[in-house]
Amino acid sequence: MLKNFLKIAVRNLFRNKLSSFINVFGLTLGISACIVLLIFVEYESSFDSFHKKADTTFRVVQHTQLPNETLYWNTTAYPLAAAMRNDLPEIEMVTQISGPVTRVFKVDDAYGGNNLFEEPKVLFVDPFYPKVFDVEWLAGNKEDALKETNSVVLTEKLAQRYFNLTKGNYHKALGRIIALQTKDPLKVTGVIGTPKGNGDHQYNMLIPYEFFKTNNPYYSSNWSGNYQGTTYVVLNKVANKSALESKIAGWKKTYLKPLDDKRISYYLQPLMEIHNETKYGSSPGGYIMPKNILNIAKIIALFVLLIALVNFVNLVTAQSHTRTKEVGVRKVMGSNRLHLILQSIFENSLLILIASILSIVLIQGLIQLLNSNLTLMELKLAFLPRHFVYILIVAVIATGIACVYPALVFAASNPVNALRGRVQLRKNKSSDIRKGLVTAQFVIVQLFVIGAIILAFQMEHFKNSDLGFDKETALISEIPDTEKGLLFREKLLSNSEIAKVAIGSGPPMAVNGLQLGTTFRLPEQSPEESLEAEMKIGDVHYLDFFGLELLAGRNFHSNKDTFDEFIVNETLLKSYGWTPQEALGKKVQINEGEATIVGVVKDFHNNALQNEISPCILLNWNYFQNSAFIKWEGSKVSGIDKIQTYWEELFTNSVYKQQFLDDAIEKEYLVENLIFKGFTTFSILSIIIGCLGLFGLMSFIVSRKSREISIRKVLGATLLENIALFSLEYTKIVGLSFIIASPFVYYFMGQWLEGFTYRIQPSLWMFLSGGFITLFIALLTCSFQSVKAALVNPAKNLRSE
Amino acid sequence: MLLELKNIFKWVNSGGQRIFLLKDINLSVEEGEFISVMGPSGSGKSTLLNVIGMLDQFNEGEYYFFDESVHNLKEKHRSNLYKEYIGFVFQAYHLLDDLTVYENLEMPLLYKKYKGAERKAMVADMLDRFNIVGKKDLFPAQLSGGQQQLVGVARALIGKPKLILADEPTGNLNSKQGEEIMELFKQLNKEGVTIIQVTHSEKNAEYGSRIINLLDGRKV
Repeated sequence: MLKNFLKIAVRNLFRNKLSSFINVFGLTLGISACIVLLIFVEYESSFDSFHKKADTTFRVVQHTQLPNETLYWNTTAYPLAAAMRNDLPEIEMVTQISGPVTRVFKVDDAYGGNNLFEEPKVLFVDPFYPKVFDVEWLAGNKEDALKETNSVVLTEKLAQRYFNLTKGNYHKALGRIIALQTKDPLKVTGVIGTPKGNGDHQYNMLIPYEFFKTNNPYYSSNWSGNYQGTTYVVLNKVANKSALESKIAGWKKTYLKPLDDKRISYYLQPLMEIHNETKYGSSPGGYIMPKNILNIAKIIALFVLLIALVNFVNLVTAQSHTRTKEVGVRKVMGSNRLHLILQSIFENSLLILIASILSIVLIQGLIQLLNSNLTLMELKLAFLPRHFVYILIVAVIATGIACVYPALVFAASNPVNALRGRVQLRKNKSSDIRKGLVTAQFVIVQLFVIGAIILAFQMEHFKNSDLGFDKETALISEIPDTEKGLLFREKLLSNSEIAKVAIGSGPPMAVNGLQLGTTFRLPEQSPEESLEAEMKIGDVHYLDFFGLELLAGRNFHSNKDTFDEFIVNETLLKSYGWTPQEALGKKVQINEGEATIVGVVKDFHNNALQNEISPCILLNWNYFQNSAFIKWEGSKVSGIDKIQTYWEELFTNSVYKQQFLDDAIEKEYLVENLIFKGFTTFSILSIIIGCLGLFGLMSFIVSRKSREISIRKVLGATLLENIALFSLEYTKIVGLSFIIASPFVYYFMGQWLEGFTYRIQPSLWMFLSGGFITLFIALLTCSFQSVKAALVNPAKNLRSE
Repeated sequence: MLLELKNIFKWVNSGGQRIFLLKDINLSVEEGEFISVMGPSGSGKSTLLNVIGMLDQFNEGEYYFFDESVHNLKEKHRSNLYKEYIGFVFQAYHLLDDLTVYENLEMPLLYKKYKGAERKAMVADMLDRFNIVGKKDLFPAQLSGGQQQLVGVARALIGKPKLILADEPTGNLNSKQGEEIMELFKQLNKEGVTIIQVTHSEKNAEYGSRIINLLDGRKV
């Protein structure tokens, strides 16, 4: 019996090549997209869970209470770790890291020459680090590798690159010396595996924390600063968390200044929540994948699978109507309903099986694609054996959902009618179910399409809205030695192609997470009343370079070792209710010192557009001038290599780095871009699958209406009128689905846009264009079949037996 | 007695009116008979055949098959009954296009739960008997109409039925092919198979031992 079923199934598959292909293809797409999304979600929600102590490890986070807001920090003051270790015995272990930072290394090769390497992911860790977090040791002694101040632990990638070693030979790296920033010798004491992609710490090498401490005595002993040191604790029991938190609340006054003690409180954040919690921002060198986005991704996965299944059901039932004769014959030959139901289920699960097998291949491809496209996130998705189980589960669910109904339809027909070729469809019921399914499909399609359109406009808004400063063709180049900044500027300007050069701490918008924070108050106010502000250092050319507009006052005359002048933005004035004119000459106190306001600039976006413009102070200081901004004559970019030449002449022992400002700004919208790309991809995918379903429905409608069309034709209907008859069918479906989908899109996109301070207002025509795009694609899908049906020879269809 | 119909009525309701398809049919068929059912289009010939074949229900009356009262039987029993005793031959052959001659012959056996070896033997027998061994791997579309009907008859016979119901078996065939099929029926009848055929042709009706005429659902 099974063999017979199989034979019929396979022959059917080959006889109806097009519909089999559409069927299997649609389902493969659906299953693959669903599984890839699930793998992505699983990956993003499993961050750091591979550490053995993950359950009992917490990150110490800091809340700073200011008069008008609370600041959330994922880093703490550096001395905190040592103090906790000494004073709080209930903590099993404390570890602290700093970085990752970028450093340059000089490595001698075997032939006496030396090579410079720039390493972007250097992490400073204390000796407790490998005990708290799982590190795979390939060579060296885990216990004391990080004890000596001038030592370094390399990942195997670096061991290969620096010393030409291969797997199994890593012990040969031990004892070799590499020079940090070309001057400090570090001895290699260990080689470790590359960190997993789903870990919050991405590093290429580990350097003892002791080294960092020795070289940064001020930072590492300062209790009131917060300079990128991250502290982790391991508890004996998770239950001890709140007891410890309250103990810390009383204990911290031992070290913190009274004002800080009042403002700062410490909390413990479970390690595994770090990656999905937005409150504390992304940790240095990492990124955050918010929980709600993962939830949306799960819903999308489900939706895509649903569309594909609905599609499958439609195509299969449409087909079973063409097989009524077979059903009739089988019934007459003694088959009962159960046999027919089993046969149908068998055939359809065969299709699902094929689709599942194909999707294994497709998933691997998609994962590769994602990994190579999302390098910014260091995505390392992998297809693991357990994902076969996912596919199996999806396939079983698919079989359950998509096989039962078609099987009932398949087995239902009455043999006498079936054999006469009279397809009795219990007219309204079965075709209404199918229309309902396709409508549901198109509701989802339109959710995606309209969503993608609105996202596209928001992204466009991010990219093209007026930032209040000039970002075009500005190149940012690092200045490793601030004393040579002016020299570099002169050198650049000697080239006639280069029009403008400015030097400062960073571009007007804080990119790459670089932002200098400070607080400000009037000199007569108490420190408790200080407010948060961003501090920017620019030279006298800065305003002109970025086209920042002065509303009142003047530019700086010169930069000084001790600053004495401020230029502030409008937003800062609001704190005191000053007009620009009133602000001039006022004295303001910031953490770094006191100075007079000499100018007020019009507000510019000093934060990416998700966030509001914050108070900003420019000062004429010689410190922190570690970036050069370069603009060319006209708008064309030429001779970038010359800049590098100048740079390398001046700054030896460093590696040249450059970045265009607009690229840097775009990176600020990494997650938004990801969502946008995701939505675009899935709207295209859902359109494809949805149209496959429509195609299936249309072939069904065409076969049912061929008689009607023929009669109309005989009675004088023109070709166009007949085509219009079909078009009405799917226009109704698309229209109805549009009406259902729109409110949902409006609500959900509104929710999403809420998250941005600067956002577009979704307008009616964005919705309408989504609807029309879908309608147009549906029209294209159906045009072939409708025209073919309308062109049919009526004599053929009206001939009676 | 093979089967007996007593006061069979069958009707459909259309636009508030009751249209009779079969009206007070009484018929008894002995084993070994060869009956031809005749009548104009729409007189209820095929309906009668379908009722006898248990493919169609009737609204009133009694139907006994081997003394089983069909009108009281559950669907499952009915289907077991006709599976065992009745074979069908159609005007349009109704072979499955996706199966070869061999597989078409084998299909009814699958539903009767014969073992593989048995099925093989029975199909081989049938192929032999109808001289179509050479065609066993061909698909229906590769055969002439007469050959297809031959396969159709072979398929009807393979389950060793007591009764063959044939609905215009020669309707789609030319006269020579038709004659061959009728000769075959005559031969089968001699071997003891009861046959009821629906036909338009006087000539084909002559092959039978009894003719039943229908008009507007009524026996005349």
